[in-house]
Amino acid sequence: MSKHPFKLTTCLVATALFSGAAFAGDTYGPYPVTVKTYDGDKTNSVSYGGQIARHVLSDSLKRLAGSGNGGANAAEVEAQMLSYFNGSDLDLEILAPTARDGFPIRQTMVGELSGGKNIAGKFYDGAMPAWPGNLTGKEVLLHMIGKAAEADGGFDATHGYDYAQLISKFTMGAMAYNQAVDNYLDEKLDAGVKPNGQPYSEGAAYTGKEHVWDEAFGYFGAAAHSLLLSAEDNYATSKRKSLEAADANGDGIVDLKSEMVFAGAYYAAGADKSGKTAYMQTIMRAFIDGRELITSANGEDLSEAQRQQLKAYAATIADNWEKVFAEAAFKYAGSVYKDITAITTAADDEARAKAYRAYVKHWSEMKGFVMALQSGKNNLGRTAVHLNRLIGFSPVTLDETIVSGIDADGNFIKDRKLSWNSYQLHMLRVQELLIKDFAIEARAKDATAELAGLVDSLSNDGGAESD
Amino acid sequence: MDLLDQIAQIFADFVNPKKRIFLGYIALSALIALGFLVVRRKGARGAWAQAVKQILDPKVFLSRSAIADYKIFVINRLFSFLISPLLLSQVGIATAIYFALHRVEFLHPGQFSTLNQPTIIALFTLVLFVVDDFSKYLLHRWMHRFPLLWSLHKVHHSATTLTPVTVYRVHPLEGVLYTLRSIVTQGSVIPLFYFLFGSDISLYSVVGVNVLVFVFHVTGSNLRHSHISISYWPWLEHLFISPAQHHLHHSTAERHFDKNFGAALAIWDWLFASLHLSKGETSDLTFGLDARENSSEAQLSVLYFQPLRDMARIAKRLLRRLILRPALRLLALFRPPRSDPKA
Repeated sequence: MSKHPFKLTTCLVATALFSGAAFAGDTYGPYPVTVKTYDGDKTNSVSYGGQIARHVLSDSLKRLAGSGNGGANAAEVEAQMLSYFNGSDLDLEILAPTARDGFPIRQTMVGELSGGKNIAGKFYDGAMPAWPGNLTGKEVLLHMIGKAAEADGGFDATHGYDYAQLISKFTMGAMAYNQAVDNYLDEKLDAGVKPNGQPYSEGAAYTGKEHVWDEAFGYFGAAAHSLLLSAEDNYATSKRKSLEAADANGDGIVDLKSEMVFAGAYYAAGADKSGKTAYMQTIMRAFIDGRELITSANGEDLSEAQRQQLKAYAATIADNWEKVFAEAAFKYAGSVYKDITAITTAADDEARAKAYRAYVKHWSEMKGFVMALQSGKNNLGRTAVHLNRLIGFSPVTLDETIVSGIDADGNFIKDRKLSWNSYQLHMLRVQELLIKDFAIEARAKDATAELAGLVDSLSNDGGAESD
Repeated sequence: MDLLDQIAQIFADFVNPKKRIFLGYIALSALIALGFLVVRRKGARGAWAQAVKQILDPKVFLSRSAIADYKIFVINRLFSFLISPLLLSQVGIATAIYFALHRVEFLHPGQFSTLNQPTIIALFTLVLFVVDDFSKYLLHRWMHRFPLLWSLHKVHHSATTLTPVTVYRVHPLEGVLYTLRSIVTQGSVIPLFYFLFGSDISLYSVVGVNVLVFVFHVTGSNLRHSHISISYWPWLEHLFISPAQHHLHHSTAERHFDKNFGAALAIWDWLFASLHLSKGETSDLTFGLDARENSSEAQLSVLYFQPLRDMARIAKRLLRRLILRPALRLLALFRPPRSDPKA
């Protein structure tokens, strides 16, 4: 043993070096400053605090959407919601995610992440036919905010809406997904836009393309070390259940800027928990590889080949992100299907009311995700029309009617009959359509998978026996 | 190794308790036959030895007909490619039916899911067995009723001795029909139950087999195709088909034609007037077909190809009768009237 002490040390050093190198490639940053003209003292060029601030604004808006008391505090709640949506001159308190026992969080104010940010300025404002009234995306959200403020705990039993869910899921698409796939990963990758040979803005520590890529990553919502975590750990991080998983630098406190999992990334991990998909791995790998490619240009403009490679990474990200939303919509369509069975077979009024509450929540999540899917770069044409027709403007409510539109004052009109059975059939069709058009694989809560399994297990393999 | 694997594959049904010719079921059938024969001879001296000799009668198991059975059993394995793609469609049928059930306004998913679990399982086990048995009766009746199908089913009836392997003496196309039958019945009953009773439905089963099918097999299902003719009491033969009743089904005597189509249950024959009890019948029957049927007890080329030739002939005849003749008659209506030379 003592004869060759250096062998052990050499091994240890080599292992440390290699694992260090591997580690660097598996987290998003830090990356060196490559701006040639930069004369500040920063050594890390990664920056996406503004995007994290917007995730926090969105999470806080969701919290507020559930704070109405049925009308009395409507004006106050609406004003508060609008301050998070439109931004405010005053620094806003982070209402979610907040610290909890065993899960301390460094930031308590939005301004600690980034100042002067809002959701409204980055919100999809094209057509949104999934909601009644012929409104744009932003108008739909403002309509929802007004209705949420009037509702009791964000729950509108008459029309079947859970506004906290609708607003939060729609925003995941209309803000984060839209900005990433229809802006930063789209036209901002063009040669003449935000070139890599120049700082993003005067005096910035990052180049044009570095920051464009970082902003897209920020909107995805993964932690910088998400690639090192299992799907379960990413999920537990977002749920504030595992400090160990979240606290990458081991300082005992979670930094929302780089250690939290938000929005799209959370749902990627949710689908990956099935073991059938690897959305998080695929998307994170593409983000990291893309960023390393930009860093390797060392502050020079990207060559055509480099930009094409970057666009290929961007396409991987966009495709998989879209699937993540489709998986989520699929799962909630399955939940809605099961909830209807629970409603129609409930033993008493209490069980029925409980089942209906869960149903409205799940429907609103599904609806939000289907609206999110229609807020990307591609508004989905025929697929969107079919999804909107099957899902409708509202779920079937307790009197077996659904919302058919809104009147001139923005009030819902609910005059169309639809039976529970028919609506369950619609949910089966929604799942069928999502499988066909998005080629999703996790397929949580597949309403017919059990049947298929049953048929397979009971099949007596034909049997050519003749009597 | 590969060759051994393939051989094992060919004979897999003998060790599969889902199949009638599972060795365990054959052994039980042999024991039942033994018990029956010994009791019938009232334990006379040498009754045991005689019974064993009768059961293992080489005149039966090594007859030309039986040897053809064995060959057909092996050859038909090659035709499994006809069946495998059909099995894939079972889930498709089940799903389509499940979707369609949502359109029935007075039903809704999970309507009876609050029923207790043992009742649901018992009901499902019973319904699946009964529907399956009825569909077997119906298809079997059609195999005898329609000339096109009889061309195929003749292969099974050309057996002049019956052994448990005769159950596989089937034309490959008939095998396809049996598979389709099974796909349609299971593909309908399963989604209906899943729809009405929820996701927890399952079967009461033994060794992976519906318990009722298991009971059918352990009570001597293999004796249906054998030379040991066991009758039940007449009242029981109204409920379950006895081996002797099935032997009558294979008999060449005209009075036995188109009787006893049932598989396990006799109630279908009873209901649809095709039941024939074994009481008063001799057990010394002749099995097989009339010479007019152009079949053979053992010649494989005839067994495999004659049905195709017969079907072609029947199809041609049908075509002439149903399409050609009416078309000609229709054309005649448009023919100009014949001029009368006397005019």
